[in-house]
Amino acid sequence: MPVSLEARHLRKSYEGRVLLDGVDLRLGPGGITTLSGPSGGGKTTLLRVLGLLSEPDDGQLLLDGTDVRTLSPRAVRRRVALVAQAPAMFQGTVLDNVRTGPRLAGEELPEATARELIVRAGLEPQFLGQDARALSGGEKLRVAVARAMALRPEVWLLDEPTAALDTERADLLVNLLRDLATAGAGILVVTHDARALERLGGRHLRLAAGRLAEEAAA
Amino acid sequence: MSYVTVSIPQLVLSLGLMALAIAISSRNHLGLEKDLLVGTIRAAVQLFAVGLLLTIVFRNEHPASVFGLIGVMVLVAGWTAARRIAHGPGTGVLFRYATIAVFVSGVVVLVPVFTFVIRPARWYEARLLIPISGMILSNAMNGVALVFERVFASVHDDAPAVEQLLSLGASPKQAVDRHVRAAMNAALRPTINGLLTVGLVALPGMMTGQIVSGTAPDQAVRYQLVIMYQLVAVAAVAGALAARFARTLSFTDREQLRTFADRRVR
Repeated sequence: MPVSLEARHLRKSYEGRVLLDGVDLRLGPGGITTLSGPSGGGKTTLLRVLGLLSEPDDGQLLLDGTDVRTLSPRAVRRRVALVAQAPAMFQGTVLDNVRTGPRLAGEELPEATARELIVRAGLEPQFLGQDARALSGGEKLRVAVARAMALRPEVWLLDEPTAALDTERADLLVNLLRDLATAGAGILVVTHDARALERLGGRHLRLAAGRLAEEAAA
Repeated sequence: MSYVTVSIPQLVLSLGLMALAIAISSRNHLGLEKDLLVGTIRAAVQLFAVGLLLTIVFRNEHPASVFGLIGVMVLVAGWTAARRIAHGPGTGVLFRYATIAVFVSGVVVLVPVFTFVIRPARWYEARLLIPISGMILSNAMNGVALVFERVFASVHDDAPAVEQLLSLGASPKQAVDRHVRAAMNAALRPTINGLLTVGLVALPGMMTGQIVSGTAPDQAVRYQLVIMYQLVAVAAVAGALAARFARTLSFTDREQLRTFADRRVR
């Protein structure tokens, strides 16, 4: 069931600095939204608030029309994937990492499914047995995408996902995100990568000094 | 039963041992002379003060004075365990939790042993309650301090992975499970090592004391075993409580990770 994630008047400041100054945003099913802006402009904070890792000082977050404060945070987080710019890998193999989400919910992801997921994320199947912590930045990013896919999230939040990837790998990831959107997911990508921006298409927003503004795509 | 008495001149004579240590430090330029001197004096002052206090409490043995003293020990243990915790919510907050952990673990371990094993002639017998409580509470204190220090520091250092687990739908318990288990392991390890090597390297202080003051070795051994098992149990209970508190303090009610800046005064 495709759902939307909606933010209303989000405000957050930290140590006297305003990071989000009344942000309204709707990530609808099947839509791709790209976001750019100066560093320190609040992009990562916005992703953290949308991913429920950080609490806004004010404002409301609705998942499928329901205030997330009335829902269990774990249940919401399982439905909203957050892929950090330099994702942390857990101890163990790539397979262990991809299995983490389902395992936390008491389910065992079949190895065949995990293999399928890492291939979709742009890694060769033989990566499954490798030590996840020993991978390169770009490989870790792709493991993080596969790891998130294992939960079949309805909303995706990605922070500079192509930054550590070469053009070919970046294109592959963009295609994957477009496929996920076609399948009904709502997607928000923070990126400054002009090629990715162009290929992702969709709506382009700019966040500066905590304020969100619509922009014509680059 | 006879015990060895030490006269004041004999005690003064033993200061020669400290003079020996100071001479070695000085000769080898270790720079420890001042610490040794201060330590010599402090140890004497602290122990004489405690001896005096114990003499007063023993002479006027009363439940209020015995349990009052044990109460002070609990508070001092709680305060000490809550101090200098890097990346924790601060001594003021931790003090409450540390004191609860020390108190509860002390009660859980001491009450059954005094009731069923040691069975003092009077239930408030100072000669037994105070020294044994002291040993147990100090082990509880070390366990709590170790768990607090380890959990807050390792969660702080590993915050990205902890938040990544939350993102994948982990409960707070699941998200810091690895850190909590490592901390509890560290809290129990010294006491377990004590169990494994006891008697092989050194005789424990209490057993030595009992033998020196005339107790038959087999009785001193039984006593010591009871104490050692108590030490393990109190470290386990105190560590488990501290771990639970540290975990609760590490998350908001919306299950978000709270991280704390290093507040230690350097």
